[in-house]
Amino acid sequence: MAELAVKTKKPKQRRPTSLGDRIFDYANYTFLTLLMVVTLYPFLNTLAVSLNDANDSIRGGIYVWPREWTLDNYKYVLAEATIFHATMISILRTVIGTIATVFCSAMVAYTISRQDYVLRKFVTVAFILTMYINGGLIPNFLLIRDLGLIDSFWVYIWPGLIGVFNLIIIRSFIEGLPESILESARIDGAGEYRNFFSIVLPLCTPVLATVALFTGVYQWNQWFDVFLYNSSNIDLSTLQYELQKILQNSNASMSAKSAGDAFASAGNQDANAVTPFSIRATMTIAASLPIIMVYPFLQKYFVKGMTVGGVKG
Amino acid sequence: MKRKWMLLVMTAVMLLSVVASACSNSGGNGNGKSEGNNANTGTNSANGNGGSEEKPPEKATFTIFNGAGAAKDINTNETTIGKILEDQTGVNFKLENLVGDLNTKIGTMIASNKYPDAIIPDAAIDEVLGAGAFIDLTDLIEEHGPNIKRVYGPYFNQMKAADGKIYFLPFSNVVGEYVPDPNINQGAFWVQRRVLKEAGYPQIKTLDEYFKLVEDYVAKHKEEDLTGFISLTHDWRFFATTNPPMHLMGYPNDGEVTVDLNTLEAKTYSSSDATKRWLSKLNELNAKGLFDKASFVDNYDQYLAKLTSGKVVGFFDYGWQIGNAQNVLKDAAKKDPAKDDFVYFPLPVTFDGEKDQYLDPPGFVKNRGIGITVSAKDPARIVQYFDNLLKEENQVLKSWGIKGETYEVDEKGRFYRTAEQIAKIDEAFREEFGFKYYDWNWPNYGTNSTLADGNAYAPGLQAEVFQMSLTEADKMILDKYGAKTYAEMFAAPDERPWFPAWGIPKEQGSQPQIYETKKTELTKKYFPKLVLAKPADFEKVWTEYQGEFGKLDTAAYEKFMTDEVKKIVEQVKQ
Amino acid sequence: MENNTVSAASSSARSKKPAGLPRFFRLLFQQRALVVMSVPFLIWLFIFKYLPLWGWTIAFQKYKPALGFWDQEWAGFEHFRFLFADERFLRVLRNTLAMSGINLVLGFVTAIVLALLLNEVRKVMFKRIVQTISYLPHFISWVVAAGIIQSTLSPDGIINELLEKSNFIQEGILFLGIPEYFWGIFGAGTVWKDVGWNTIVYLAAMTMIDPAQYEAAEMDGAGRFKRMWHITLPGIKPVIVVLLIMNIGYLMESGFEPQYLLGNGMNIDYSENLDIFVLKYGIAQGNFSLSIAAGMFKTVVSFILLFIANNISKRLGEARLY
Repeated sequence: MAELAVKTKKPKQRRPTSLGDRIFDYANYTFLTLLMVVTLYPFLNTLAVSLNDANDSIRGGIYVWPREWTLDNYKYVLAEATIFHATMISILRTVIGTIATVFCSAMVAYTISRQDYVLRKFVTVAFILTMYINGGLIPNFLLIRDLGLIDSFWVYIWPGLIGVFNLIIIRSFIEGLPESILESARIDGAGEYRNFFSIVLPLCTPVLATVALFTGVYQWNQWFDVFLYNSSNIDLSTLQYELQKILQNSNASMSAKSAGDAFASAGNQDANAVTPFSIRATMTIAASLPIIMVYPFLQKYFVKGMTVGGVKG
Repeated sequence: MKRKWMLLVMTAVMLLSVVASACSNSGGNGNGKSEGNNANTGTNSANGNGGSEEKPPEKATFTIFNGAGAAKDINTNETTIGKILEDQTGVNFKLENLVGDLNTKIGTMIASNKYPDAIIPDAAIDEVLGAGAFIDLTDLIEEHGPNIKRVYGPYFNQMKAADGKIYFLPFSNVVGEYVPDPNINQGAFWVQRRVLKEAGYPQIKTLDEYFKLVEDYVAKHKEEDLTGFISLTHDWRFFATTNPPMHLMGYPNDGEVTVDLNTLEAKTYSSSDATKRWLSKLNELNAKGLFDKASFVDNYDQYLAKLTSGKVVGFFDYGWQIGNAQNVLKDAAKKDPAKDDFVYFPLPVTFDGEKDQYLDPPGFVKNRGIGITVSAKDPARIVQYFDNLLKEENQVLKSWGIKGETYEVDEKGRFYRTAEQIAKIDEAFREEFGFKYYDWNWPNYGTNSTLADGNAYAPGLQAEVFQMSLTEADKMILDKYGAKTYAEMFAAPDERPWFPAWGIPKEQGSQPQIYETKKTELTKKYFPKLVLAKPADFEKVWTEYQGEFGKLDTAAYEKFMTDEVKKIVEQVKQ
Repeated sequence: MENNTVSAASSSARSKKPAGLPRFFRLLFQQRALVVMSVPFLIWLFIFKYLPLWGWTIAFQKYKPALGFWDQEWAGFEHFRFLFADERFLRVLRNTLAMSGINLVLGFVTAIVLALLLNEVRKVMFKRIVQTISYLPHFISWVVAAGIIQSTLSPDGIINELLEKSNFIQEGILFLGIPEYFWGIFGAGTVWKDVGWNTIVYLAAMTMIDPAQYEAAEMDGAGRFKRMWHITLPGIKPVIVVLLIMNIGYLMESGFEPQYLLGNGMNIDYSENLDIFVLKYGIAQGNFSLSIAAGMFKTVVSFILLFIANNISKRLGEARLY
């Protein structure tokens, strides 16, 4: 029903715009175009470096266009046998993690949005406090171990099940819903569950999309938990972690913990096949493209109807 | 509409219930599952437990965690070298390399008291030792390690911990005669070859001569907009800017201190006259517009970009830090000999022409190594593998490869590589063959070792291989200085049993370590001020720096280092 | 109806009516659906977030991971003393607060302004493209982003070039070498990287505004700015306020990567923050205790800030966090 409202309500018959309006529009469009240039640059730059010969990139001076085109960097990164499986795990954790987080956060958010709920304050405060406390790395690690979550896929899901930030955002939205809708539902005798599932959830689509985006990106980018808990289990490795490994690998040829490293098997003075600089750019693109491509699908929920649409009961 | 929503919600609920049930599975089952995994590896190695004496050895897989994080995570038997070694011993190693922060990873291992079979703890070795994670190898070596004894025997005294036990095997032990590195991977003052060419290949010995050379060249080529001198300061690589005074005084890279050959006194030099002289020289250079101010803000990538631009006349650095840049320059020179002008040439510069000591003396890094952990299922088997690896023929295998494939032997018994072989051994080949994985971080001959038949252990150090790598232009410039290798430009290193002093173990969080952190912080803050100050203000800033430096407990640090140096000298005498 | 103090709800419920406890349980039973929907997550919360808090004892120990809890050597307040007594502590604290303050203000203002401007764009396609592109830098890691910032600001970088061409300066400025510039560079860099990302939540909030309001305002002849001021902003105010309160609680967290990557010896007096300090003297030295001590200190400050911010908001009649 929300979508319908958007489609039908488009007011084609806007009043003629005033001069001030037009000046504002020009200024606005100019500014936003400038903003696009500034924010597109880092991405283009990274893309250009990733498509440029690694050896040549050392010389610097690559801006938005590669100097010596090559796909070698991508070949090097994506040729890794582990990449495919790791990508699958990344997708799996992103999908499951996002669904679970959005659903659980929304549910709790619903309860604490209810002003009459007796445990409201207790639950709210209990959650909020955890934003600012942390037992530290080792105690957390030992907890995960004692829960049997090491070497397990579920270590990607359980610890981050509810993000307090998301919880509070969703709560604010629910609190902002017109009271009348909830009231009428309650008078109808709809139970809490139905109230939540069939009224609150659908009305919250924009915020749920937002939270899904936040969670999805977090899940996709996360590699620290792989490092801590599943680093010895290649079957549970994720794309980001594998990319980190490749980066490390390219670093190794340059770092020298000891004199021996650098030249122990010298003899071939071939130029640098890969460099951290190029690999970093390549992995940035490889890792962010998938999630960037998902974005438009979510975007429609919070950009589409903005000025005109909105959710009407 | 409504129905659509209901449908959506229903699917969501279904999905979630699947997730939930899966979750609860992992709650109960998760343990079982991970135990199952462990059991797997467990049985593998348990298999190997028994009769490895008779017949073809049974297969076993052990795990190694490499804190130095040098390569990909693989099974050693996926490489040519590893396969051959597995055929000999039945042992395969699953390698795990560090990806994130070392202290964090090691900390979690220690806290949960669960380790891989073997660990290369790199910089976290004190924590691992302190946690009692390594087993004593003394008896195992006695029983299973004739080759370990042969290779490490001369170093046993130095390898013993305070309690007299041996917990790990270091990597830099020299076997046989010491072969110097023909290339300059260590420190040097570098200058573009065209500068030497134009000046008629003069002998450059002192710092003044060096900077005069740079200055004259820049002055003569005003139109080129050249940078006289830059310095690397980024992050931990800052030592490339703090170390030169040590080398200029005629000492090798002992890190934070210089050690007197006779008295064995370790002295810091960061606030000494030598550093003052070095910085005032840079200050002078800066005033003349010859020093690149951006040195103090550039990151490593920017630094390398400047070196490859051809605009930078000279700099001080360690060869291994500029490898990537030098490769680019050499590559260009191979395609176009005229570009050879921009390749950098190393010079043995000292303050007043003292005997230089840039080349590393035969050293023994004793705070790095590989040890077997208390979690290891079959330490004896691992020690046997190490011992087998240390057989001369296997050391040849891991370093030179297979005769006819990756190296040849001439009629005099000298090892060499053909041009095709050199070309063949690129990064991909090194990974596939296993050179890369066996390069370092295993019990091995130190890089500068000699094989029993007189060949160099490391191909890169074999004169024949080195000569092949030289271009005509390389040979020409070396010839002008009457040298066959770059190393011959430098004086032979004196004997320094403690070398490198930076390898002296310091306990984590101990006074010496905190001292070093504070000192680095202070130098990082004051060096730019000193170099970029107006020449008239230099003295003033220096006094201020001295004042700050005085707050550090340098005496205690020097005493610690001196004591440790003396201890090592005693151990070596035994 | 719940103007009680920040105590747990059970006690507040008890103090409400003479009926007290029985009434509380009766309500609880009545609201069992809500209980089912939230209490399981309380258990989750307790296990994953509160149980590990035993780790705070580590701050009072000379913690060695190899030893069990009872075998640890106790250190009292030694780590706190190390932290607070260090002569750099005040400077580091100042930098932390300054940079997160800058972040807070700039981050909020720019994101809200951008959201408002986007909201005024009528061409949906353009709006979508701007929005998509502006959030791209969020996906560039700080290592890469810092590299770009460094080369842009270098003496031969584009900024210096522009300044030189327009004759403002004679020779390149070492932007990252001037300590006083650091906070500004940091603030600009963070905005550049995250402004698009930060607008998302406000854009979502704007979808909740009833379009009828805009139409009515337009009928009344309200101009662009009036509509922004009287409809859009008030519409998203609850979200703004709640986010603001949460972020005020985070004032001790000024980030780590940008400061570490852009920091150097010349600007260290302005770039080094608490996290970097703790890295150098805690984590890098294998000293877990110091980092936990610092963490506890941050928590205490956060709680105080949070409490103050929430109360102020309450007084002003705005949305509250709890």
